[in-house]
Amino acid sequence: MNRMLNDDLQLLNGNHAVAWGVRLAGPDVAPVYPITPQTPILEKLIAFQAEGKFDCDLLTPESEHSAMAAAVAASATGARVFTATSSQGLMLMHELLHYASGARMPIVMFNVNRTPAAPWGFWPDQTDSLSQRDTGWVQLYSEHPQESLDTVVQAFRIAEGCELPVMVNHDAFYVSHAVEPVSVPEAEAVRDFLPRRERSLWLDTGLGRSIGAPAGQEAWHASRREMDAAMARVEGLTREAGRLWGEATGRVYDVLEAYRMEGAQLAFVTMGSMAGTAREAVDALREAGLAAGLVRLRLFRPLPAEALRAALADIPVALVLDRNFSPGMGGIVHQELAAALYGHDGPRLHGFLAGVGGINVPVERLVALAREYRDAAPTHAPIWLE
Amino acid sequence: MLEIVILGRGGQGAQTAGNQLARALFDEGLFVQVFATYGGARRGTPVASSLRADTRPIRLRSDITRADALLCFDESLLNEAFLRRGREGALVVVNSAREAADFTVADRRIVPLDGRAIARRNDMGKVVNSALLGGFAAALGQPALESICAVIEQTAPAKVAQNLAACREAHALVAGQLEEMA
Repeated sequence: MNRMLNDDLQLLNGNHAVAWGVRLAGPDVAPVYPITPQTPILEKLIAFQAEGKFDCDLLTPESEHSAMAAAVAASATGARVFTATSSQGLMLMHELLHYASGARMPIVMFNVNRTPAAPWGFWPDQTDSLSQRDTGWVQLYSEHPQESLDTVVQAFRIAEGCELPVMVNHDAFYVSHAVEPVSVPEAEAVRDFLPRRERSLWLDTGLGRSIGAPAGQEAWHASRREMDAAMARVEGLTREAGRLWGEATGRVYDVLEAYRMEGAQLAFVTMGSMAGTAREAVDALREAGLAAGLVRLRLFRPLPAEALRAALADIPVALVLDRNFSPGMGGIVHQELAAALYGHDGPRLHGFLAGVGGINVPVERLVALAREYRDAAPTHAPIWLE
Repeated sequence: MLEIVILGRGGQGAQTAGNQLARALFDEGLFVQVFATYGGARRGTPVASSLRADTRPIRLRSDITRADALLCFDESLLNEAFLRRGREGALVVVNSAREAADFTVADRRIVPLDGRAIARRNDMGKVVNSALLGGFAAALGQPALESICAVIEQTAPAKVAQNLAACREAHALVAGQLEEMA
């Protein structure tokens, strides 16, 4: 058989791909607490360190709360900091997520999307990170192991460019444990892509400064205005990072991806691993004569509202696939998209709770949905997929 | 696209077998995707490894529900629900000392393989994955025995010669059975 693969590809699971990205990005400090299904990221970083290939203060505190506290403290000294978690661990960090963004620490965190308890579970579901959307962290969602490696490196550039923390997410098992061909970039290319930048504020015993001390109303108010201005720069920084990464590796990224949207009469909108299955559904529908397309949201916070409106302009109907659930409201991407489209001409929207709890969503189900809803009046209530 | 599901109990090596099989197919030039799912890493609970191989990059990220072939590490897991994950006519290799005629399963091609006996004969104790991989590759017709053996050589943590011998014995046994039937 002819070799169709490039010889520089190696077989890595999504979590090990992340660890490779982190190794190349070269953080100074990485406080990480293990949790299924994130643990292989930590295991691989420890293995790299044991081989003498990862020069980093790798700390293993007693909880995720302490891991984030250590991350904030280390970042405050000007260090480049990485951490990783999942589900319960992310939610245990909640208090300090606000602290990290408020103190403007450019920490990069990888979160493996997993169902929150109760009941206890280990399944792909994005409710864990989406429920942290108001904590002031930039959020990116990856579809596959290669993108996870590429995005964790880009995340450092984005974080350090706006001095806000960045959380990159991928789905449990479908990405975290999927072993696939992955291209690992050259260390030198990553060094050029990710130069060290001086921080606008850092702590040092010789400087006599503090960060996060009690502030009056005016100073607290000003801190949020400054965060707002920093968030406004994230979309541009994400585009720039995606373009420069493309120049270095041949793999270009943007805040969202439009797949076969030319002349589309219907669009799926989703994030993360579901996009892979949706691509197959789009191809099957086009083959059968229905011009379908896909908008895959990659940057979720800040929400690229203008880019979403542009991608969906002139599309009659959009089916939002949410692998998450906000009880009492529905799918979170559906809510956010509806808000972005309000007052603008846009497609008829239908929001589906698709794959909540990690249940399987096969191609045929998406094809059937497209046929059922292509001419339907817009629905406001969420629709559960069995 | 070739789709395979391997089912075992935690600790038996189903996940390792899936990864080794994927590597062998990848070494033969195919795009692969293999992922394990488990409900909490405890020895003895069911662990499934799902594998796709194709001549083009694999984008699907859903469960395998119509596999071309199933490999079952433990006869006690060979129930209706597992068999339904294979398509009609799917190959089912099961670790069992029983004969094919002892299995009354419609629309599936059952190939029993006594992995435990082969493992014991090759000083592998209860570790059956190299034997099952060899037999499974023979029944499926791919990857080539030498591709599997190359991966075992690179990845077996101990007893490399014994693992290879178990793999080769099982491969020869199943290949011989298939030849007899043909």
